Amino acid sequence: MPTVSMTVNGKRVSAEVEGRTLLVELLREHLGLTGTHVGCDTTQCGCCTVHLNGTGVKSCTVLAASCEGATITTIEGLATEGKLHPMQEAFREHHALQCGFCTPGMIMSAVDIVRRKGNDLDERTIREQLEGNICRCTGYHNIVIAIQSGAAAMKQSRPSGAPPG
Amino acid sequence: MSININTPSPAISGGGLGRGRIGQPVLRKEDLRLITGAGCFSDDVNLPGQAYAIMVRAPHAHARIVSIDTAQALAAPGIIAVLTGRDMLADGMKPIPHRPFSPHPADMPLENTDGTPIFTAPHYPLAPDKVRHVGEAVAMVIAESVAAAKDGAELVEVDYELLPVIANTAAAASPTAPRLFDQARSNVCLDGVMGDAEATAAAFARAAHVVRFETKIPRVTGVPMEPRAAVGAYDPAIGHYTLHAGTSGAWRTKADLVIMLGVGDDDVRVITNDVGGHFGTRGMLYGEFALVIWGARRIGRPVKWTCERNEAFATDYQGRDLVVEAELALDADGNFLAMRGSNISNAGGHTTNFSPLRKGVEIMSSIYRIPAAHFRARGVVSNTAPTRPYRSSGRPEVLYVMERLIDLAAREHGFDRIELRRRNLPTEAEMPYTNPFGMIYDSGAYHRVMEKALGLGDWAGFPARRAEARARGKCRGIGVANYVDTASGVPRERAEMTVHRDGTVDVIIGTVSTGQGHETSFAQLVTEWLGVPFDNVRILTGDTEFVKFGGGTHSGRGLRLASIVIWGASQQIIEKGKRIAALLLECESGAVEFRDGAFVRPGRGRTVSLTEVARAAHELPDVPDDLRGPLAAISDETITTAQFPYGCQVVEVEIDPELGSLEIVRYSAVDDVGRAVNPAIIHGQVHGGIAQGVGQALMEHCYYDPETGQLLSGSFMDYAMPRADNFPFFNTEYVETPSPTHPLGMRPAGEGGTAPALGVMINSIVDALSEFGVRHVEMPATPERIWRAIREARGGAQSMCDRNTPEVMLR
Repeated sequence: MPTVSMTVNGKRVSAEVEGRTLLVELLREHLGLTGTHVGCDTTQCGCCTVHLNGTGVKSCTVLAASCEGATITTIEGLATEGKLHPMQEAFREHHALQCGFCTPGMIMSAVDIVRRKGNDLDERTIREQLEGNICRCTGYHNIVIAIQSGAAAMKQSRPSGAPPG
Repeated sequence: MSININTPSPAISGGGLGRGRIGQPVLRKEDLRLITGAGCFSDDVNLPGQAYAIMVRAPHAHARIVSIDTAQALAAPGIIAVLTGRDMLADGMKPIPHRPFSPHPADMPLENTDGTPIFTAPHYPLAPDKVRHVGEAVAMVIAESVAAAKDGAELVEVDYELLPVIANTAAAASPTAPRLFDQARSNVCLDGVMGDAEATAAAFARAAHVVRFETKIPRVTGVPMEPRAAVGAYDPAIGHYTLHAGTSGAWRTKADLVIMLGVGDDDVRVITNDVGGHFGTRGMLYGEFALVIWGARRIGRPVKWTCERNEAFATDYQGRDLVVEAELALDADGNFLAMRGSNISNAGGHTTNFSPLRKGVEIMSSIYRIPAAHFRARGVVSNTAPTRPYRSSGRPEVLYVMERLIDLAAREHGFDRIELRRRNLPTEAEMPYTNPFGMIYDSGAYHRVMEKALGLGDWAGFPARRAEARARGKCRGIGVANYVDTASGVPRERAEMTVHRDGTVDVIIGTVSTGQGHETSFAQLVTEWLGVPFDNVRILTGDTEFVKFGGGTHSGRGLRLASIVIWGASQQIIEKGKRIAALLLECESGAVEFRDGAFVRPGRGRTVSLTEVARAAHELPDVPDDLRGPLAAISDETITTAQFPYGCQVVEVEIDPELGSLEIVRYSAVDDVGRAVNPAIIHGQVHGGIAQGVGQALMEHCYYDPETGQLLSGSFMDYAMPRADNFPFFNTEYVETPSPTHPLGMRPAGEGGTAPALGVMINSIVDALSEFGVRHVEMPATPERIWRAIREARGGAQSMCDRNTPEVMLR
């Protein structure tokens, strides 16, 4: 079996994978990073969203073997130096989760929306950009509020001159 | 301890100054782990040496199993075992112990009119002889990896003899329909009536107006975002099984497994950690839970099974699916006189549950004053996945029927929609109100809540908004729907409370949070009543090692019943604490009072904290035996009264008549929650409930091909899930009218978002299309259906009588 090496949440990792092994399987089963969830088999629900080289991807549709040399961030790697990411804070502050299963994917997507669309997000933009993430508990109301608030907080917490996200 | 339900609600004072008391929107305790990826859902559990199971599932909706050849599969790489229904029966596995109804005395009886017992038949985890719906499991392949198990499953040869298929609800009730069960006379398992036939007929005979409505409330499915998963282990040394799985209550799951395996009560342990949604879908035992622990015993290693989404669509217990014919009689002034009709509920391929049929028909009259009613209620089986209660079991369907009848009566007989509702809503002076089926609605300010919702939705300002929309070529509609919900379910619950020497309090309880935030709202109760800091309270659930009884989470019974037993246990702790404090304060226990989390001897100024008392229970040499530490209490209560949450929703939609596309522009909801513990959680419950109701009204549909019984909506590509851009921000408010049948005044808030949503959505859509003369649009009201309804009403090209035509019209 081929070996694949990448950086996950700041750590260099290597694993032997089959050609058919998915990135989400590598994360959950080989690396024990079970915060990334699998909610479907058709790349619709977004529960498995992670950042691949800084871009949001659904890790159920990425072959692990294709990630040689990549940098991956999962929900476990979002908080830094023991401090929650502003988007994580916003989800907690605004009761944007109930069962919590879609939440890691939602938060990773939300951070990616900020990267793509900036920190000043209107309601319509957020709702449209959440097309690839399904939540069954919240009716999205508090998720939209949290993303708006988290995006603004990311601007404040960002060192001046740094790119958004 | 017994609770006198006639005593007034306990005062909410009594300590706990500061964060986390009743009424505060305190942040949830569970969230830190869930936002950092540190939650533990079922598929996150892995046991050393585990093997992996894959189910071989039937590709046919109705077929006899002639033979199963496992030889090729067993020879494949990595395969450990291939087990069939025959192996399962040889090992003595019993069927899943389904119960046709939840046992609650407040619900009305529903029995066969001819006096025969309700027909039920065994439902095994692996079909031993016959499959009755697509996806039914016929064999379990266990292998070294998921991939090997999948490859092995492909090699299991099953020879089926195909049988005629019946998937249509109304057609399944026909005496000539193909039968699912050879031992039954027909597919009708239950055929009963509720109400007073004579009084109803008399009322209809003198009615000035009669309005008639026929509809099919389509089959939908709960779709918790976490697919089911289970890990089973067996310890041969002590004959002990352990199951890790997402359930709605570990104790009930264990009790069912004990029956299926025929073992002792202590021989099975069920552990449920984080659960990724429930909505009724997880309310009964799934066969795979029994299979993984049985498989673990067979192969001598733990066995893990994880459901894929396509399997979930085919085999999760589904919901709704009701065919209704209903008539409403009114006098010349618009007073409701009576209603009558017939409901047919589809249980699917097994006799799993008829609760939604009963829970619906007993409140067919909804929240309105209707002196007489009579309904026939039938439960049928068909070649579709089994059904069970789904969020607000049985009620959204019938509430929708009532709200449609009212709007149709208004339109066809010249009444104002709102005036008709005002005229027929019981007043507060009429409470408690007994509905025509015998249900006693405990209390409620129905008029006040409806007026509040109309204000929130700015009903009065609608004509101007409609005119503005029309100027843009859009059709605006507004709708209103009231609801009343019956919160019953398993009537018993148990709490075990311990105050530790460090001042922390543990509460063991038999409900499981599947997103409702029990760790937070239950802790708020303890903080309120014992004055313990919020962070010092820990709610422990989901492990039968310490949960000795629990009714599980359903029927709005989480906080509703937990509050009663947590209150009971808190009071016992205070009484015990007073006696210990009396020793420390050197006085009679009768002289001790409990205030703000401490025991005081009034007038003497001396106080001892709850923590000091808990410590003294361990350390004082002269503590009586019955008070010796730990300071603990158990409250185990059976509450035979139901509670009746109610409320009103107002919705405004805008439709593009050229495209049939729809936008919800305003969504307003008012719910009476009796007494609010955590406002943030309440609003969240209402938001999510609305989304599920709107999903059913507009897009969701478990669609079975009527000829073959094949599920054509088996993935997120085919089953339309509500997404963020389907909704506006919701405008939700609640009122607090204490329920007189709950000792603390509480009414559940978890189902009220869904209950009126079907009716209010279709009412607003039909209102938007009223200018074209559209009388009704069936659910799901997709853009295509709306577009066709407009075209037909305009007298344009006739729509094709295709599969989108409601099946009620095809009979």
